[in-house]
Amino acid sequence: MQLSLDLRGGARPRPTPLRLVAPPRAAAAAPAQSEALPESLKSKIARLERATATAWGVVPLGDRRVDGCFPRGGLPRGRWHEIVGEGLEAETPAAATGFAASLARRMAREGAVVWVMQRPDVHAPGLQAFGLGADRVIFVRTANDAETLAVLEDALRTRGVDAAVGEVGALSLIAGKRLQLACERGGASAFLLRRRLFGAHGVRAGASAATTRWALAPARSETALPGLGPPRWRTALERCRGGRPGAWIMEAADETGDVRVVAELAHHAADAGDIRASWRAGLRDRSDHRQRPAAGGG
Amino acid sequence: MQGCATAATIDNARRLAAVDDIAAALGVRPGQTVADTLALWPHLEVHDADTEADAAALKAVAAWCLRFSPAVALDAPDGVFLDIDGCAHFWGGEAGMARAVRDRLARQDIPARIAIADTFAAAWALARYGDGDITVSQGDAATRLAPLPAAALRIEPLTAHRLARLGVRTIAQMRALPRPAVQKRFGASVLLQLDRALGAAEEVLDFLHPPPPWTARRVFAEPVSRPEAFQQLVRDLAEALCAKLDRAGLAARRFALVLHRVDGENAGRGVGAALPMRDPKRLAALFAPKLETVDPGFGVEAAVLVAHDVAPLQHAQADLVAAAADVRNADLAPLVDRLRNRLGADNVWRAAPFSSHVPERAVTRTPPLAAPTGQGWPPDRPRPVRLFRKPLPIEAVAPVPDDPPLLFRWRGRTHRIRRAEGPERIGAEWWRAAWADNDIDRVRDYYRVEDEAGARYWLFRTGLYGHDRPTKWFLHGVFA
Repeated sequence: MQLSLDLRGGARPRPTPLRLVAPPRAAAAAPAQSEALPESLKSKIARLERATATAWGVVPLGDRRVDGCFPRGGLPRGRWHEIVGEGLEAETPAAATGFAASLARRMAREGAVVWVMQRPDVHAPGLQAFGLGADRVIFVRTANDAETLAVLEDALRTRGVDAAVGEVGALSLIAGKRLQLACERGGASAFLLRRRLFGAHGVRAGASAATTRWALAPARSETALPGLGPPRWRTALERCRGGRPGAWIMEAADETGDVRVVAELAHHAADAGDIRASWRAGLRDRSDHRQRPAAGGG
Repeated sequence: MQGCATAATIDNARRLAAVDDIAAALGVRPGQTVADTLALWPHLEVHDADTEADAAALKAVAAWCLRFSPAVALDAPDGVFLDIDGCAHFWGGEAGMARAVRDRLARQDIPARIAIADTFAAAWALARYGDGDITVSQGDAATRLAPLPAAALRIEPLTAHRLARLGVRTIAQMRALPRPAVQKRFGASVLLQLDRALGAAEEVLDFLHPPPPWTARRVFAEPVSRPEAFQQLVRDLAEALCAKLDRAGLAARRFALVLHRVDGENAGRGVGAALPMRDPKRLAALFAPKLETVDPGFGVEAAVLVAHDVAPLQHAQADLVAAAADVRNADLAPLVDRLRNRLGADNVWRAAPFSSHVPERAVTRTPPLAAPTGQGWPPDRPRPVRLFRKPLPIEAVAPVPDDPPLLFRWRGRTHRIRRAEGPERIGAEWWRAAWADNDIDRVRDYYRVEDEAGARYWLFRTGLYGHDRPTKWFLHGVFA
């Protein structure tokens, strides 16, 4: 699957493997290059990228800067996506929850959304603000990651379920593949929120079968009025199968719960320092917790 | 005008078993021989008594009486006992209940005499020998029974007759006799009946158990204990039961499997369905994981599958919106059933609004396939995406009263507050005591705050400034 990158980008720099902040400048021109490719090479690429071929269509997020990163101009249905929160988000995902809810609502057509978790602290009135009304979501509480994955698979194979959100700590490659098969079967989309519960190790974003992987961190809101503006998130598309990564500041529009891009983060943007700071803070936070595993609640 | 009576063979003669009102007014009495009766009243209609139909009719009346009390016993040939402990107040007391029973029976052309007493025997006596068609005794059964004839004690007619010949005509007279003498002469049963009427002896009745009609059963010649055999067994039972339900156009929401073991123990497993169903394959699949935990002991010799909550299977509805919801539910029902039976019914739910300002009470759990209400929470009150079950105490620095804090510490990290909104004051629901469980004061002032990184929190302060109790800060949730 990595082959496509080499073919397309030529000698462009590869993204940093640890945590990508923004697409390199060269990558921004990638779509134009890909259009220039000869037809035979294109079909060869398509054949190689069987994983990106989708029978279920794609859902554009409504902004060219984001949709340009996906191989077909939108987030594909019948796939699963990984969402990783940074810092405190790893334990109590808030921005990641909002983002997952917003994407799940976009991916679900008429059907239900199944939300599987071990610690049932998702507050339904909060999800409603992202367009997921009380009538749409079925909540399931499980005892461990294995059960969560089993329920997700079961739900994704069910007709009438259009999207599922699961909160898991660890995820093996095989579990990811199984999830992928379940998604492909009915065209349902899954979002895995990586979550670290008490006493467990931190979220490690290793190799996985996910079609996309997103890293989420909160960002300062802006408003001319006193009080809080609409929520903003530093959203990094760290990995996109057949596409390219990117990083943006996104804002949840108040009325619809849709996300819109406020700014694109460049490689050397001033904000990049913030992301690293929050990453470091996350590490620090993590070490705090190793010392005091039972701190707090929630 | 001619009366009507039924005849049966009693004491080696054709005698009248029952007479109607017209015949009774003429002077016809049950027990007379048919020959004598017809000689006196040649126009009387006499039919053969149908005791089976009588018993069936009595059973129907008893079953009908289950609406008044769950404990109903037959008193053949012409009576029904109801244990109305704890039931009478629904009908405005015992007298009101007696009237309700009589009136409702009268509407079906069933004349009845009703008595309520402390014991079944006393009620029996007062119903048959008391004055009027309703008698309600309240702890004065002894005085009310006193003038009644001895036959009112449900003793054999011959014994009553012999007592009468001795001049013992009433229960009061009988109570005056020395007990050993009565027992010696008439047997213990007379005293037992007397004691039952007065509450000195217990009476055990055989109450009706409405049998669950939707069952399938298999009995084995040899005990069965192999797990594979159970799977096949459940498939067979499910097919038999579902075929039964199918013929009646019904479906059920709960199913129970009872395995009768050789050693007399029973092993039971139950499954539930979110929507009424009668698909044998799905039913067997729901039972399959539960069978693995069954301990067959030395083997199972019989198995019964029972359907509860039987209801008509809903067919397509005319309403398009409702129909769409039905179709969706029909798709989801197998999934919901699998999850609920595997994880427990409490662990699969949908959130529904509850009209309470208290955040943790504003959400209730409803069954996943309950009809959508279309209702939501007020959108003008922002609520966090994660709400902690118990608010977490935090240290906050808030130098200005009634202002949001400048910074707070949570999990060893200092969060400097950049923007804030509030307060939203939420008061205790004083009619509930549970608020105090968290050791939180009566009023909470909620603030939405954003720290320097942009993370948003829902803080609240309890305790009012200027009061004795110090103010405390809590973190209740996080916003996206």
